[in-house]
Amino acid sequence: MKPEALWSLAALAAGLIFLSPVLYTIWMSFLTVDSYYAGTPVLTLDNYRAALGEFDFLRYLLNSLLVSGVVTLGGLALAVMAAFAFARFTFPGGDFLFAAVVATLMIPSHITLIPNYLTLAKVGLLDSYAGLILPAISNGFAAFFLRQYIRGIPRALDEAAYMDGARPLQVLWRVIVPLARPAILSMGLYIFITEWNNYIWPLVAISDSDLYTLQIGLAKLYRENPGEDVINWPLVMAASTITILPILIGFLAVERHLVRGITMGAVK
Amino acid sequence: MTGIALTDIRKSYSNGPQVLHGVSMSIQPGEFVVIVGPSGCGKSTLLRMIAGLEACTEGEIAIGGRRVNEVAPRDRDIAMIFQNYALYPHMTVRENISFGLELRGVKRAERHARAEEVARMLHLDPYLDRKPGALSGGQRQRVAMGRAMARDAGVFLMDEPLSNLDNALRVEMRAEIKALHRKVGATLVYVTHDQTEALSMADRIAVMKDGHLQQFDTPAAIYDRPANCFVAGFLGQPPMNFVLARDMPGWTGGKDITLGLRPDTISVAPSGEGLQGRVVLSEMTGSDLILHCETDAGRLVITAPRHRLDGVGETVSLRPNLTRAHAFDTATGARLDNPLQARTAEPALA
Repeated sequence: MKPEALWSLAALAAGLIFLSPVLYTIWMSFLTVDSYYAGTPVLTLDNYRAALGEFDFLRYLLNSLLVSGVVTLGGLALAVMAAFAFARFTFPGGDFLFAAVVATLMIPSHITLIPNYLTLAKVGLLDSYAGLILPAISNGFAAFFLRQYIRGIPRALDEAAYMDGARPLQVLWRVIVPLARPAILSMGLYIFITEWNNYIWPLVAISDSDLYTLQIGLAKLYRENPGEDVINWPLVMAASTITILPILIGFLAVERHLVRGITMGAVK
Repeated sequence: MTGIALTDIRKSYSNGPQVLHGVSMSIQPGEFVVIVGPSGCGKSTLLRMIAGLEACTEGEIAIGGRRVNEVAPRDRDIAMIFQNYALYPHMTVRENISFGLELRGVKRAERHARAEEVARMLHLDPYLDRKPGALSGGQRQRVAMGRAMARDAGVFLMDEPLSNLDNALRVEMRAEIKALHRKVGATLVYVTHDQTEALSMADRIAVMKDGHLQQFDTPAAIYDRPANCFVAGFLGQPPMNFVLARDMPGWTGGKDITLGLRPDTISVAPSGEGLQGRVVLSEMTGSDLILHCETDAGRLVITAPRHRLDGVGETVSLRPNLTRAHAFDTATGARLDNPLQARTAEPALA
């Protein structure tokens, strides 16, 4: 066997090892609870019906999509504009502001948990979509990452657009954003995944079950255990599959750009 | 058509050097002006200030009689071609050419018709739906020109637009830019460090050094009557030879004078006559040879027909035509009158 084929086999085996928990989760989600414990597989879709219907996962899914979607779009809009300003304009206090943005990367998110909670409690935004979205919408890492990318785009392109008659926001929208698309898409996926998997903040900020996101719903499902004396793992796995599916679809949609985004700047 | 008046333009960066020291220039409507000078002389900075991409520290820029120091680039009625073309890589040739019209609110059908018309003029019509990445260097250069032409601007600015092209294409594009200027009739300011481009294209040349304007005149005037040693040495290929007048046999003028001798004003004399030199380098340019000769007056570069071939190491006799020499003050480098030019009947060197 050629060395290339051996490497391919090894890569395939490694991929399967990494994928095996996901594949096992999906497999389990189609089993009845009795067949799972008996070890004789009987396939069913009842776990999905129960999760989406009886256990309200459809609502949690919509909540997660809404919160993660708005955080991603809003966060990207803010980060792209901040990145453009930091990359292209000189203004009083600009260096200090950028240093402040970078400094936010060094603060563990849990440190901001209580100040954010107290602030939102004071303005009455706990137990609301706004309370879930606002603390996550400004993203220092995204602003920093996109600023570095925009600095790599030749400034002459901006200048050509200004000479063509563009205003700064037109330069951003018509020139910078299309050219920074790989970075923006990969950063968008990163923000979406981070927000989708966010557990601590919704747990702290939300008590109304109508506003639960998938992560909170999943924990509740496991905690309340509808399987009575045994844990209903197939149902929990069906709920888990519902939780990871949008991320998988999103990743497959922008994978090409994500890889380009991650490797950018490695070589000129 | 639009003229440009630059009055005492100065530019310095905070915590940095002053890069322009009071440049004044009046560019006539429809004129083709080339700003030339070595790297770092401030020529591109000056062009970017006319464009509005850099602010003046002091001085006034007027375009079409209107002060524009505080006017944004988009409102200066200027089109610009950049050194690296700055084509939008995500847009097709058609979109690149018509982008300026789109930003000015021209309707889609009209701007595409204009893009097609410009593309025909520049022989780009087969490539209208391609992106810049799929074009050759020359085609990209044409797209950059097309983008500027589409807008019918009153002033065109070009920042070393040919420096990324190979020699053959550069010669071809020089002729095209010149023809384009005649056709469009707009005022054109062109920056280059290539003196051949300056001499071959300009109506007038502005020679710059270290942020100072050295001379602003027609190519013939600059070549024939350079204002100082720098201008004399910068324009002309091969460059002018400079020798101290006192070292030159037959010189009857003042002593604190440096003589500038273009290579074609020094001829090879019959053996034993004139200035004796030894050939240290011989370069063939085609029909001519460029000979670098060590003489008692210093190293002299001359051009000679190939049939007068002299090999490296051989001794040659050189006869400089001193009546055609340029005289400069040795201390300041400023141009002086050559006293021998008044006495043209007098032989230069016996």
